[in-house]
Amino acid sequence: MARNKYNIDEQLESPFDIRHFKRALIYVAKYMKRMLISLFLSITAIVAGLTAPYITQYAIDRSIPDKNIPELLLMAFLLLLTIVVNIVLTTIRSRIITAVGQDIIADIRIDLFEHLQKLSFEYFDSRPHGKILIRVVNYVNGVSDMLSNGIVNFVLDLFNLFFIIIFMFLMHWKMALVVLAGVPFLMAVVFGIKTRQRKAWQTVSNKNSNQNAYLHEGIEGVRVTQLFVREEVNEQIFGELTEASRKAWMKAVALNNTLWPSLDIISASISAAIYIVGLLIIGPASVSFGTIVAMGGYASRFWQPIMNIANLFNTFINSISYLERIFETIDEPVTVSDKDGAAELPPIKGDIRFENVTFSYDESKVVLEDLSFSVKAGESVALVGPTGAGKTTIVNLISRFYNTVSGRVLIDDNDISEYTLKSLRSQMGIMLQDSFVFSGTVADNIRYGKLDAGEEEIVNACKTVCADEFIKEFEKGYETRINERGAALSQGQKQLISFARTLISDPKILVLDEATSSIDAKTEKLLQQGLNELLKGRTSFIIAHRLSTIRNCDKIMYVSNMGITECGTHEELLAKKGDYYRLYSAREIA
Amino acid sequence: MFQIKWIWENLKGYRGRYISALCLTVMTQVMYLINPIFISNIVDTFIYNDNALDNLTNNRRLLFFLCGGIVVLTIIKAAMQFTANMMYELSSQGLIQRIKNYLFRNVQKQDMSYYNRNSTGDLMTRLTGDLDMVRHAAAWVIKALAESLVLFTTTTVYFFVLDPLMAICLLALTPLIFIITNVFRKQVGPLYVDLRERMSNLNTKAQENIAGNRVIRAFAREEYEIEKFKETNANFAKANKTAAMSWLKFFPYIETTAQGLAVVQLVAGGIFVMNGRITMGEYVAFSGLIWTISNPMRMVGNLINDLQRFMASASKIIEVYYSRPFIVDRAEAVDRHKFIGEVEFKNVTFKFNNTVILDDVSFKINAGETVAVMGETGSGKTTLINMIPRFYDPYKGEVLVDGVNVRFLKLSQLRKSIGIAMQDVLLWSDTIDSNIAFSDIDMPEEDVKYFAGLSDAAGFIEKMEEDYKTIIGERGVGLSGGQKQRISLARALAVRPAILILDDTTSAVDFETEKIIQDNLNSLDYKCTRIIIAQRISSAKDADKIIILKNGRIHEAGTHEELLRNKDGYYYEIYNLQHGEEETEREVAV
Repeated sequence: MARNKYNIDEQLESPFDIRHFKRALIYVAKYMKRMLISLFLSITAIVAGLTAPYITQYAIDRSIPDKNIPELLLMAFLLLLTIVVNIVLTTIRSRIITAVGQDIIADIRIDLFEHLQKLSFEYFDSRPHGKILIRVVNYVNGVSDMLSNGIVNFVLDLFNLFFIIIFMFLMHWKMALVVLAGVPFLMAVVFGIKTRQRKAWQTVSNKNSNQNAYLHEGIEGVRVTQLFVREEVNEQIFGELTEASRKAWMKAVALNNTLWPSLDIISASISAAIYIVGLLIIGPASVSFGTIVAMGGYASRFWQPIMNIANLFNTFINSISYLERIFETIDEPVTVSDKDGAAELPPIKGDIRFENVTFSYDESKVVLEDLSFSVKAGESVALVGPTGAGKTTIVNLISRFYNTVSGRVLIDDNDISEYTLKSLRSQMGIMLQDSFVFSGTVADNIRYGKLDAGEEEIVNACKTVCADEFIKEFEKGYETRINERGAALSQGQKQLISFARTLISDPKILVLDEATSSIDAKTEKLLQQGLNELLKGRTSFIIAHRLSTIRNCDKIMYVSNMGITECGTHEELLAKKGDYYRLYSAREIA
Repeated sequence: MFQIKWIWENLKGYRGRYISALCLTVMTQVMYLINPIFISNIVDTFIYNDNALDNLTNNRRLLFFLCGGIVVLTIIKAAMQFTANMMYELSSQGLIQRIKNYLFRNVQKQDMSYYNRNSTGDLMTRLTGDLDMVRHAAAWVIKALAESLVLFTTTTVYFFVLDPLMAICLLALTPLIFIITNVFRKQVGPLYVDLRERMSNLNTKAQENIAGNRVIRAFAREEYEIEKFKETNANFAKANKTAAMSWLKFFPYIETTAQGLAVVQLVAGGIFVMNGRITMGEYVAFSGLIWTISNPMRMVGNLINDLQRFMASASKIIEVYYSRPFIVDRAEAVDRHKFIGEVEFKNVTFKFNNTVILDDVSFKINAGETVAVMGETGSGKTTLINMIPRFYDPYKGEVLVDGVNVRFLKLSQLRKSIGIAMQDVLLWSDTIDSNIAFSDIDMPEEDVKYFAGLSDAAGFIEKMEEDYKTIIGERGVGLSGGQKQRISLARALAVRPAILILDDTTSAVDFETEKIIQDNLNSLDYKCTRIIIAQRISSAKDADKIIILKNGRIHEAGTHEELLRNKDGYYYEIYNLQHGEEETEREVAV
């Protein structure tokens, strides 16, 4: 599993293609009706706007030379009318399209988020979290404008161009050709920078992602930084990352900035050409004064949409580099998922059986090989053995956090891979090494195990795990707010709270993975008494190093690199004088 | 406008460039006014002139000169614009890089209490999304503001020179714009404050979801998380829409006023041409420049919109920028490089959220001694050791190291003399050797291996695919609790500290490993004072002194033998609890 860190750019798996954009259009399609309405409104607005030069031209060519003031006023009124119509329609359109843009990115974000919920630990373990976060928040925000306004504007500008070209040809086709002569130059510029531009924006998103990753860790790990007086080193690293991101930005933006001035030069040359061609080549005899002025007006109106499209193109290239990252995440394969037509796992009784289970995290290193064992409903099993032998892996397979490479894991003779993950895991209680608590009140955290738990239930669960006592001492008791990661709680308190959270979910199978390691001996003793009552009728797996915890289990399995080498009760295993005995005797004798 | 002043402050080093960019902008804007002069010259000489045909045949040079002038001027203008834009980018990038680096440094300096108040997601928002608003303001808003202002003023002057009456007619509508935008500004401000709050919520929710992914999987709470996130996401979209709609409420009025200028121009200009007040060429010049007044008028609304958004974000950043930690070096701090490791607590009381955590704690540890701290979960053990490196300052009393109150020591010197293996292990998503060499990035490879050996981590590290170069997940995910603890221990040992603090460092390692580590710790190649927080009697009993904490007070203190004499004491109770186990053990061993 190739892991990523803050100073490694994420390589993009797939080469650029327009499919990212086409795929984004699927999200747009959902709002097709509103998009079409705004398009229609805009076209009407443009047509209204396009009549303006005609009105002006008429006034200049006729009303003013004729000194016809009433007609001039009529023209002015008509002009005002076109302006008002244009603005009213534009406003309505903007209201619609802004809402659509927000709705589209809300949809994309939810899809991205939903997919993240399906991904296994591995995904989150193998890259800095800041790099995931930037995708969910910043990148998605970055595409809203292009997918709403951008698309409509693009279509509009095309329409606009089309109409202007028609109007120009209607007015004077030769002059129109002069205006169009600038287009090939424009194409040359755009194609000249396109590829480099795309690469440049990809680098920008990579560098930003790196910077975000380090920033995130810098904030999360600040205590360690301060303790080891690493502030200056970290600043230096962060400084390098911001420098890289600045450089990437400058490079990308320089390319973007060449587009506009180039267009400006082309368009100015064209307006100069209009006069030269109009006056010298076509000749004033066949072109009226008003026509040349109007043509000048059309020329700038012709270049306006082109410049808009050029700007859109810049945004497009930029957004594509975000879309690639977003879709890459949405496409991240889900390693553990429900099979098609997976059934709900019936209520668990608690028999567990491993049948010839082989497992490896990656192809090269086999962690478990051909492992078979069975546990009867209601039994408590302790897993002991050296670090890295696969104790955690075994319990993770029961919860189906991973799929076996071969062999089956059965609960009550049901192969767990045939049932939905939710129906399996919601009947299990799994306490992990890292007792993560959420920000919110103490009660909220415990309720996480059972969303509709009442107050009494929560208090009872806490009493069972000896947490009630310290929670009550908090200023606001169960309503005390816990900060992010429970910063104000001791490690032991966090473990007790997550214990209560697990218990309240009334699991049929309980997995405790070094779950009570930080709890003091006395509390643990009390906890044991409460637990013994609770463990009755539930199958439980306990990974622990504390003898008192292990000894009380119905069954102890010694897991080594060779698989399960010993299995039996405490007394049986001691009598065997094998691995367990050796481990046990390592304890210093008072 | 404190925000603007703050930006100016941080533009240091780029001010010259920023000002020259602004000047270039002004110049390019003036150049926009020159092209129409050329055009009106063409019109007056070659089209609307009694001798137009003569001029066309005899004075072609002038025509070419004028047309060439348009092109050359545009090229110069484009070059200037490009330069100006790049200078804006350069200085705005410099600006945000400077701010970002400063914020990172400042965030790293903050006290633990700061992190209890501010969530990671919120801090991330400030350093990413909010900072981007600042960039936008510097790179675009201020520039556009200057552009609009210059354009507007120069055109106004130019119009007054051309024809004062016409100018007054055109400017008659301007005050209206200012009234409308001012009302708008007051309305939209709070909306942007709300919007960035929603953005911060989005970041916080996503961040916590990513961080807590294991717990979410374990409880099968994916759907619940998605529901919660949908709400946050929808709120963000809604806030975005509300802010945009508020702008669109004002947009039609501003736009009508601005575009209405064309109507005013047609009527007033038309009448003036009719009665001979201005020439047709002048009319065309006016009409060619009308946008230079109307565009700034239209822009002003947009700019106000962006400025309000900037203000909302900038004030959030400024909050972080000017946060000052309470725990800092005193001016009169003692300079001390070498510590022998004497630690003394004198009547130390500490409160957290009005709850007393430590209550009048006094004890003294001589250099080179080993002290064990025991006590129930939440009794204040971790808080106690946090006072030594000054993560918290006492509420009352004082903590002394080598006889000096830690408040009078330099933080970096104090902390460099302390090595802590924390209970809540936090590793960085970096290679294993970088993690061990955290305190000294230049640490030789042999040292890294040596310390990994001392903490009995070398074995499992070397079994990993890329041994010391293996990248670990954020916070150390993917490693077992025992593995994390051992790397964290190696990291602390590598400091070669005068005071070594082990906060329940071996709770997740097996007996064998614990034994090895304990032996290694007893034969370190440097002298240090050891403070060990332990749950097991076996870890504590050889200490020179054992301190038992209860509810933040020292309940008992003494050597193993002394404490065992107190039959009602906690230590005796624990001893008996664990003694039972050891009895069995002895029987087995025999």
